[in-house]
Amino acid sequence: MRRLALAAPLLLFALLPLGRLVAEGLGHLDAIATAEARRALSGTLLTSSGAALFAFLLGLPLAVLLVRTDLPARRALRAIFTLPTALPPFIFGMGWVALANPKAGLLNLALGEGTLDIYGSAGIAFVLGGCGLPLVVLAASASLERVDASLEEAARLCGAGPLRTLAHVSLPLALPAALSGAALVFLFSASAFGVPYLLGVTASPPTTTLTTHVYGLVLMGHGGLASAGAIALVLLTLASAVLLASRLASRAGRVRLSSGKGIKLRPLALGPWRAPLGVAAIAIAGVLVALPLGAVFLTSLEPSFGRLENLSLQHWDRLLHTPRVAEAALRSVGLSLAAAALVTLLGLAYAVGRTRLGNVGRALELAAAWPYAVPGTVLGMGLLLTFSMDWRVVIGGKLTFVLALANTLWLVLIAYTARHLAFGVRHASDGLSQADPSLTEAARVCGAPPLRAFLDATLPQLKAPLAAAFTLTFLTCATELTLSVLLVPTGQDLLGTVLFELMSYADPAAASVLAGGFVLIVLTVLAGRTLLVRRPA
Amino acid sequence: MAAVELTSLRKSYGTTPVVKDLSLSIGSGEMVALLGPSGCGKTTTLRMIAGLEVPDAGKISIDGREVDAPGLHLPPEARRLGMVFQSYAVWPHRTVAENVEYPLRLKGLGRAEREAKVKQALGWVRLEALAGRRPDALSGGQLQRVALARALVGDPRVLLLDEPLSNLDVQLREELRAEIASLRSRLGTTMVYVTHDQAEALGLADRVAVMNKGVLEQVAAPQVLYGEPATAFVARFVGGANVLEGVSDGTSVRIGATVLTCEAPLTLPTGRGQLVVRPEDLSVTPGDGPLLTARLFLGGATEYHFNLGEHALKALAPASAELQMGSPARVTLRRARWFPL
Repeated sequence: MRRLALAAPLLLFALLPLGRLVAEGLGHLDAIATAEARRALSGTLLTSSGAALFAFLLGLPLAVLLVRTDLPARRALRAIFTLPTALPPFIFGMGWVALANPKAGLLNLALGEGTLDIYGSAGIAFVLGGCGLPLVVLAASASLERVDASLEEAARLCGAGPLRTLAHVSLPLALPAALSGAALVFLFSASAFGVPYLLGVTASPPTTTLTTHVYGLVLMGHGGLASAGAIALVLLTLASAVLLASRLASRAGRVRLSSGKGIKLRPLALGPWRAPLGVAAIAIAGVLVALPLGAVFLTSLEPSFGRLENLSLQHWDRLLHTPRVAEAALRSVGLSLAAAALVTLLGLAYAVGRTRLGNVGRALELAAAWPYAVPGTVLGMGLLLTFSMDWRVVIGGKLTFVLALANTLWLVLIAYTARHLAFGVRHASDGLSQADPSLTEAARVCGAPPLRAFLDATLPQLKAPLAAAFTLTFLTCATELTLSVLLVPTGQDLLGTVLFELMSYADPAAASVLAGGFVLIVLTVLAGRTLLVRRPA
Repeated sequence: MAAVELTSLRKSYGTTPVVKDLSLSIGSGEMVALLGPSGCGKTTTLRMIAGLEVPDAGKISIDGREVDAPGLHLPPEARRLGMVFQSYAVWPHRTVAENVEYPLRLKGLGRAEREAKVKQALGWVRLEALAGRRPDALSGGQLQRVALARALVGDPRVLLLDEPLSNLDVQLREELRAEIASLRSRLGTTMVYVTHDQAEALGLADRVAVMNKGVLEQVAAPQVLYGEPATAFVARFVGGANVLEGVSDGTSVRIGATVLTCEAPLTLPTGRGQLVVRPEDLSVTPGDGPLLTARLFLGGATEYHFNLGEHALKALAPASAELQMGSPARVTLRRARWFPL
């Protein structure tokens, strides 16, 4: 019974849409033979490999410098380089439109009209690569943090200088992790929708990707839906192949680096290279993170796009008094809170189930992971195809359940929850595996029945990971774009879709106000969390 | 009536047997130590008494009532026991007083009664002054005293202690050991104490049960265990004795190429067997015999290591300037036990 209760939502909202997508897609394979589909596929391959390459070439040396050396301002740089994980890539895309739009971009105003052009494949790859950079930096850093400093010190004693030591010892050690990080950047870029739409559709010639092609087909209405399913299936196949290849590669290249003793992380002195490398790292952080975010704020203050005189808060004032935006914000916050609560609760339930139910539990965990592992467009298409009609379940010829989700906010909530369930499961599992079982056993011996012991002794230990899952889900859902544009009911805008619409069609200044407001909220939350964590025990 | 009665207990993890056919009777008010190396099954035995593990076979009774038997398993919360864990297991989200109060709240006691009992229990472990503190502001020794108070506050039928001192440094360990001894004489609680430290077991317990590979080797009072070990394992584990396989002719023992002679009046049975001799029961003088391979100055005495082919022999004797590293020495037996093979 408990197994069924745990399995039912996953069967209905994760596995059924997957099956439906595969069935529909296979039934309309003619849709992938068109010239548009081929262009979209090559667009995805080109932009995603470009982004992965860019992030890899920049991320690997950065990780080495940040983890293993005495580079100045290491902690601040690390925080800045990981910031893009907390913000939607779309906002960075907007920043780059403001900076490197060929006509009125701020950089082009300085460098001469038409010097830089952010539109097209190269621009998409650049922006996505910058946003995906943390994936490489974090993966490589995690692996470097398990390396004992004595490996590098041995190289120094053998006569190698600091740069040679880094290149010959540290870099190769971080290489496998950085490569799997780059594979993740490829996946992240292939899944991206907002940036390729913003920078690709209006480019000349237009650059399409699989995700934007799917969106275009869905906009065509019922006729396009099945073809869109077939394209989404191509995307699913591509993503699965990359994921599988990177898993296999990282399993083959896994090295046990840490010794049993505590690891010493003495930073390597860069000597004369410290200042120039520090300046270079700060400059890169400035260009990739500070510049686009600053441009977004600047745009929100300009009287009209690309004009730097008479900066004012008039757009902020205007937008705060637009009922449509306020309603969308309210709707998004409500949906995101609900999704975050569901993700946290269900994640906890599945994590506990995994430890209790053996193989069934592991299967459930895998099923819960797939909606996050695949591109959002794939999940969105699956849900769209599955619930575009009503489902009726008749029990005993009398009781009838009708599941009519098409064109409702419920479907959006289900999509948000299914998509981020993996956050909840992962955080709760990590928390449970770190929780001290003797605390719970102590409660049992003191006289507490199992459930009471769980609530009194286990749950308090999970506070931090569950809060992290909640915050993370809330923040990502609040401006979610990829699922929202596919599933949003007509006339019920969400923050993400309003932002998308304002930016793509009408009003970049208003869009910048929304994006700027969101950046401020995220920075406040992150700063608050850092302060809370640093509070002395 | 026995406070705890274990009858033919068995427990395996997967295909690995951890406890094999263990029977033990613990009297009311008695303190029994379960002593053995890691992996011998002592903690598993304790956890089965607590109800945290379910035995594969056998019976457990507490105060004459069965709590585990074929088809019967009373959950831990229904056993009315107290337990102290190696990792302290003090709940970090509750204050010291709230930790100690928890068993009383589960019993549904009224507030005034709870407060009085918490105060009393904190008094037992001298922690009244820290009642309002959070555990993260406490030292290891204080945490373990909180755990003791929490385990004792509900007047448990048996107090179970799972390596309670092994996470503490030497000085605190001795302090807390004395505290447990004085608490015991004051409260008279029946205790089962798991440890791998022979000094702890011999110093605290009325009887020591030595376990090895899931089997009870010997259950006896500390003096008996030390003076008359029933097996070579007990002699080695409890007294740190040398255990050497050899052939005896009654007054000397041949081990490989080396001969150790008995000092009068010691005689041994003849034939093949295991010689069990404590380091302090050996005399060492310069002479012809095994080679000295190491010499460790321990203050009151010196530990000498000899190489006997595949065996090493340890002797504890007064420092002697005449004994040189790498030179031969004459080693004789003053006292020894013999287990025929």
